[in-house]
Amino acid sequence: MSRKSVQYTSSPLLASKTPIWRSQFIVAAIALGFLGLVVRAAYVQVIDNAFFKRQGQVRFVRSVDIPADRGKILDRNGAILASSVAMPSIFASPEEIERDPVKLKALAKAVDMPLAELQSKIKNEEKGFVWLKRMVDESVEQGVRDLKIKGVGVRKEYKRIYPEGESVAHVVGFTNIENEGQEGVELTFEKELKGRNGSRRVINNRLGQAVEDMGEIRTPMDGLDLQLSIDSKIQYFAFQKLKEAVIENKASAGSVVVLDVNTGEVLALGNYPSFIPNNRVNLNGGQLRNRALTDTFEPGSTMKPFVVGLALERGIVSPQTIIQTGGGKYNLYGHVISDSSAHGAMSVNEVIQKSSNIGTVKISLQMQPKDLWEIFTQVGFGQKPQVPFPGAVSGKLRAFKTWRPIEQATMSYGYGLSVSLFQLAHAYTIFAREGEFIPVSLLKKEERATGVRVIGAKYSNEIRNMLHMVAGPGGTAPKAQTMGYSVGGKTGTAHKVEGAGYAGHKYRGFFVGIAPIEKPRIVVAVMIDEPTNGRYFGGDVAAPVFSQTVQQTLRVLGIQPDMSVKPQVVSKAEVESF
Amino acid sequence: MTRLNVLLLAMVMSTAFYLVKTQYESRRLYTEFDHARSEARKIELEKEHLEVERRSQGTSLRVEKVAKEQLHMKSVTPAITQYVLNPVELQDTKVQEAKLDFNANAKGKIQNNVEGVLSP
Repeated sequence: MSRKSVQYTSSPLLASKTPIWRSQFIVAAIALGFLGLVVRAAYVQVIDNAFFKRQGQVRFVRSVDIPADRGKILDRNGAILASSVAMPSIFASPEEIERDPVKLKALAKAVDMPLAELQSKIKNEEKGFVWLKRMVDESVEQGVRDLKIKGVGVRKEYKRIYPEGESVAHVVGFTNIENEGQEGVELTFEKELKGRNGSRRVINNRLGQAVEDMGEIRTPMDGLDLQLSIDSKIQYFAFQKLKEAVIENKASAGSVVVLDVNTGEVLALGNYPSFIPNNRVNLNGGQLRNRALTDTFEPGSTMKPFVVGLALERGIVSPQTIIQTGGGKYNLYGHVISDSSAHGAMSVNEVIQKSSNIGTVKISLQMQPKDLWEIFTQVGFGQKPQVPFPGAVSGKLRAFKTWRPIEQATMSYGYGLSVSLFQLAHAYTIFAREGEFIPVSLLKKEERATGVRVIGAKYSNEIRNMLHMVAGPGGTAPKAQTMGYSVGGKTGTAHKVEGAGYAGHKYRGFFVGIAPIEKPRIVVAVMIDEPTNGRYFGGDVAAPVFSQTVQQTLRVLGIQPDMSVKPQVVSKAEVESF
Repeated sequence: MTRLNVLLLAMVMSTAFYLVKTQYESRRLYTEFDHARSEARKIELEKEHLEVERRSQGTSLRVEKVAKEQLHMKSVTPAITQYVLNPVELQDTKVQEAKLDFNANAKGKIQNNVEGVLSP
């Protein structure tokens, strides 16, 4: 800087007078700026603080799921039919997993999986999560934990366990791996069983431990436990006897239904072939089908009691009325209706006892189609049964206006309409309940069911007497008799329909009956599909299953025998005071 | 005035420390509580597991298998069953039985077998 340069104090620039407003303006602008900040701060802190509060919480509050338990399915005595248990599932995070070949090999061995499969699962490094193996044993879980591989972890999942296995499989159904009902009660009552997961908000510390509860967002609601009307002992026994009969008769399938006529509860409902719900590998549709409800067939002779019951009620016949059945052949509208043998003149009692087609046809032709249609409808034929099962069918019962006379005749002995075994068992409750048709229930209930009257008690009892004769000497089903309990029922054997006509040698044998006959407590229906071991009549293939099921069921229900039994073991009974 | 300020400062400081301690304690307790809660849940799940296990050990299928194979038992039939009644109810039952016998005789069909057992 040269000496000639201008001194600060004498700078000509400073010599000029600065206008005062400039400094005032700057001060005012700065003050305004601060005021703006204060207002904004007040706005953010006091008035509109929700947004920032929320943003703050997002950064330190975690939402944690509170899992709800799926409800259990219990039998009528509280025994578990289905329950969820926590099982460890192994997962990996391909992003983080340690790719040490030795460790991976050890991991593959621990989860029992080929190394190549394991490597393909964790190949995509961008994925944050893959399941390695779900629902493993605790030993596998421990093995994986011991390896201490980074990026591999264990999570608890719920697995549904069915301790009763195949006997009750069709009733209970099953769930998929996500715990959603797929079949049976598991599917129908999905909403009730499922429950609702809850969640709560917590503040986690650096170690991932929850240190403060910020309250629940949603309370978890456990699924409801369902108590079915099924008795697992009766169910097991009925299923076991059915299975033996299907195997012995080289049949393709079979079903059994046991109903309590007091309450209308379903005590047992089984089908064979069945499946083991805990192990559902290689299942086929045949095993999954709940045949008692989904398969319909022509009910054959089991329809006769309804026709005769109506005729009794209308006063057209009495049990002693003589019907002429001739030589076993009867020509009607150009069609021949035949009996298994020539019975000649027989009483109405004997028409049922010996299962005469001609006798039944002659009785039915004295009634109007509308009347027959009405009684069939009143006992549930042609209508979907009111039970909570997926796939229950209504069967076929055409409107009476479309019946031709010959059809009215064939329908009276069970051809030209179709029913399921469950419908048949349900319909027979009218003979056990003195003419009342009661609603059935799959859930446990204590109170006696109230029914709708279909035929008078007197006529229902007369039919019951005829059903008793069927199982007696000279009837079509002496094999239905049981030791100690009086029974009654009706056999049925139907040609199977294939395509447009009847299949050559394919039959379905069934039996539906009531026990004990004087004071009915249960209705049991048994169906054996396509028996091929020589015998196919319902009285031969289905009646023995009925007999064994009745005997065991009445024992389990604690009902005293009503018939004399020749004791096999003689020992002194001592009545002790209780 | 200075004294008062010092006193107030001391009070503020002490409550502040106390607040920090309480907050710390509350978080520690909550962690413990949360831990206990998850432990309870774990035990509950285990109980469920054990119940199912107990049930699967007691199913009719297994009971029948063990009874037949290991204990060599046979299925019962009414022919080898004796029905024993409570003596208090016996009086009522006898009356009922008499009625039943009467009905049975009237119809000529049903015989009751229990009376032999009832009156030893």
